[in-house]
Amino acid sequence: MPEQVLAAVLIPLFPLAAFVLAIAVSRRRSVLSAAASIAGIGAAFLLSLWVLRGQVLSPGPLQADIPWLAAGSIRISMGILVDPLSSLMLVIITAVSLLVQVYSLGYMKGDLGFGRFFSYLSLFSFSMLTLVLADNFILLYMGWELVGLCSYLLIGFWYQKPEAASAAKKAFVVNRVGDFGFLIGILVLSILSGTLSYGEATRFIAGGSLAPGQVTLIALLLFCGAIGKSGQFPLHVWLPDAMEGPTPVSALIHSATMVAAGVFMVARLYGIFMTSADALRVIASLGAFTAVFAALIALAQDDIKRILAYSTISQLGYMMLALGVGGYAAGMFHLTTHAAFKTLLFLGAGSVIHAVGTNDIWKMGGLGRRMPVTAITFFIAVLAIAGIFPVSGFWSKDEILQAARASGHLELYIVALVTVFLTGFYMARLFFVAFAGEPRAESHAHESPVVMTVPLVILGVLAAGLGLIGSPLLGQDIQRFLAPVEEHIGGLNIAVLVQSSALAVVGILAAVMVYGLRIVQPETLRRAAGPVYVVLKHKFFIDELYMALVRGLFFTTTAGIAWFDRHVVDGVVNFVGAASKWGGDVVRRGVTGKVQSYALVVVWGLAAALLVIFL
Amino acid sequence: MADAVLFYALGGLLLVSAALVVTVKNIFHAALYLALALFVVAAIYVTLGAYFLAAIQVLVYIGAVVVLAIFVINLTRTVTGAPVTLSRRWVIPAALVSALTACLIAVALLKAADSSPASPPATADATAAIGRGLLGQWVLPFELVSVLLLSSLIASIAIVGKDREEER
Amino acid sequence: MTITLTHYLILGAALFCLGIYGAITRKNAIGILMSLELVFNAVNINLVAAARWQPDGGLRGQLFALFVIAAAAAESVLGLAIILAIYRRRVVVNADEMDLMKN
Repeated sequence: MPEQVLAAVLIPLFPLAAFVLAIAVSRRRSVLSAAASIAGIGAAFLLSLWVLRGQVLSPGPLQADIPWLAAGSIRISMGILVDPLSSLMLVIITAVSLLVQVYSLGYMKGDLGFGRFFSYLSLFSFSMLTLVLADNFILLYMGWELVGLCSYLLIGFWYQKPEAASAAKKAFVVNRVGDFGFLIGILVLSILSGTLSYGEATRFIAGGSLAPGQVTLIALLLFCGAIGKSGQFPLHVWLPDAMEGPTPVSALIHSATMVAAGVFMVARLYGIFMTSADALRVIASLGAFTAVFAALIALAQDDIKRILAYSTISQLGYMMLALGVGGYAAGMFHLTTHAAFKTLLFLGAGSVIHAVGTNDIWKMGGLGRRMPVTAITFFIAVLAIAGIFPVSGFWSKDEILQAARASGHLELYIVALVTVFLTGFYMARLFFVAFAGEPRAESHAHESPVVMTVPLVILGVLAAGLGLIGSPLLGQDIQRFLAPVEEHIGGLNIAVLVQSSALAVVGILAAVMVYGLRIVQPETLRRAAGPVYVVLKHKFFIDELYMALVRGLFFTTTAGIAWFDRHVVDGVVNFVGAASKWGGDVVRRGVTGKVQSYALVVVWGLAAALLVIFL
Repeated sequence: MADAVLFYALGGLLLVSAALVVTVKNIFHAALYLALALFVVAAIYVTLGAYFLAAIQVLVYIGAVVVLAIFVINLTRTVTGAPVTLSRRWVIPAALVSALTACLIAVALLKAADSSPASPPATADATAAIGRGLLGQWVLPFELVSVLLLSSLIASIAIVGKDREEER
Repeated sequence: MTITLTHYLILGAALFCLGIYGAITRKNAIGILMSLELVFNAVNINLVAAARWQPDGGLRGQLFALFVIAAAAAESVLGLAIILAIYRRRVVVNADEMDLMKN
């Protein structure tokens, strides 16, 4: 086994060991839990960096195939796959995890579940790293469900809060819908191809032994999993509610890593998706729609974390769009930069919430002067997500727009451009309402402690500079690294660049006029929008629609089943009971407890026997 | 012919006294009829050439068992102070099934009727032969019966005697 | 008119059935025991008579009847002792009232 692979095997095992230790001592020595957790993820981070360096120096897939069980023609192995994609993901996950865990030292200080929190984070890191390293569907699915479990545990971390408990359940149930399709897709694929390994399955599909319709069906079933996990429309409803969890969790799981698992999965199985043009078109359309849809909702939200949640959904839609139009490297590049700036946004939001104790942006304001580090880093992240030159989001978003333009689907390109404008507007609105102007609360806000600001600064640097590794001006290293041969990599497209930048700047300026300089009062704007505002405020009434559907379909069906149960099933049960009782009443007359009555019966039996024998 | 007269006379007496045993109301009278019936059985043994058995029948049954039964009757009656009458139940079904069984057995026996005469006694001194048999070929069952009798004796003393100790 | 084995066997059967009748109808436990004595005697008559019609002249049948008498004696001794013990304790002689183990 090459050293790189050995290191890759060890990467998830460090957080696993940390989890076991941390959960064991979480009650008594919660500080030790945190220490173990951070040490585990730190070691994993260093190893990941080393593995990534190895891949950069000599790219190429390395595999370790450890046979696990063999049943007939199905061979299941616990194999892992190290290639540019997985090594990049390893670094993203471990880096974000490490920063978030350090940040949590400050954010979760004094919480009763301090140790438990860190042990869950370690379990999550283990699961996510396993998911990323898998070279087969079984291990992928195992990691996939484990991260779902961790998400459930961490959303419901403050389970005493009813909203948190129900949000956790909602996340779990909604994900189940997507995972159901995902599992069916895996099963169909493994039955048809007879293998569970990515490589063999991809070769099988690409070999053309299936009808195009079958390939599309499999691809779409697999994509169902990504819809659920990555919060794509129509299964996006769980992600905003997931913000009930502690803010570091939102940063780590519900923006940077776990929700990107759907994007990663599509990228990982790109060989399969690429075979079906229809499936790619569905992915691209759904991604574009989700991007603009979530951005519209984000315009009218007041909860800082919910705005960020909708922006996460929107950005994930971008990544899906990129993958759908053939921009494999562009999508993964955006995933990388998004991980940096979205984590920064959430940690910044957490810092603000920590200071003012509310999620409502209208109760903040004027925080810029009191929390300079948070404000500056947050501003960098806003620029990044809006796509302003030269910070990271500019480069990665530009790649996606170029890919959309190049694919020939002009409508997708236009939708993406509209989203750029909307993104600039709502992010600027958030920033100026929360950080600019006069303090609105009787604020005693102050800058967060050093363990929280240091991760912010590191992420700020990354969010600003990370885009340069994919910049056309500097050779687009990351695209070449991820897609060395097959993909055409667009160069510098000035038209796209100008259009997107202009729209982003217009969006930001519009928001500044309303929320910063108050040339137009926010209230006026709200009234002018009228019913549109109401629809956006209520998130297009999707939750209400689902509720009505559930009420209508589910409750009527269950009413019928309940009737059947009460009358038919219970009827049979009661009849059996009554019949036994009645039969017992009849039979017990014979059991008098008087020996002589038995003797009488015995003699009757004797007479009957004689009758039979002799007559 | 004399055999037949003797058989029918003894058989009739036996059945009548047995019927009285199971029907009379006074249990003391029933015990006396039982003694009569057992005595008739002894006589029937004599007609069958089983003299030793007849003697044993009289000694053990009438001399011991019936007397014991009368003792118990008297003991229970004297304590309660009321005459022990015998109530009955299930008279009709019991009579029916008993009669039916008897008829069925009789029919079956008559079907397989064997009219051969009785074989003569093997030895002139049957009693001596029985004695030899008991202490010779059949010594093991004989000893087992002795143990059975002894254990039932001890057991009955224990059953009745233990009670007295508790009363004290 | 000769007396055959069948005569004795029918006599035994009749006595047996009378005993059974008594054992079923009597309520008094002593009465039941006495009825059972009739049953034993019916069996003994059968044994002795059947042996008499065997070629060896009936010794084995008589021996068997002896054992039955011994067993019957043991049975009646024990039965009467039990009746007496129950009577002492509960002043009950009727079999259907001896229901301590029923509930």
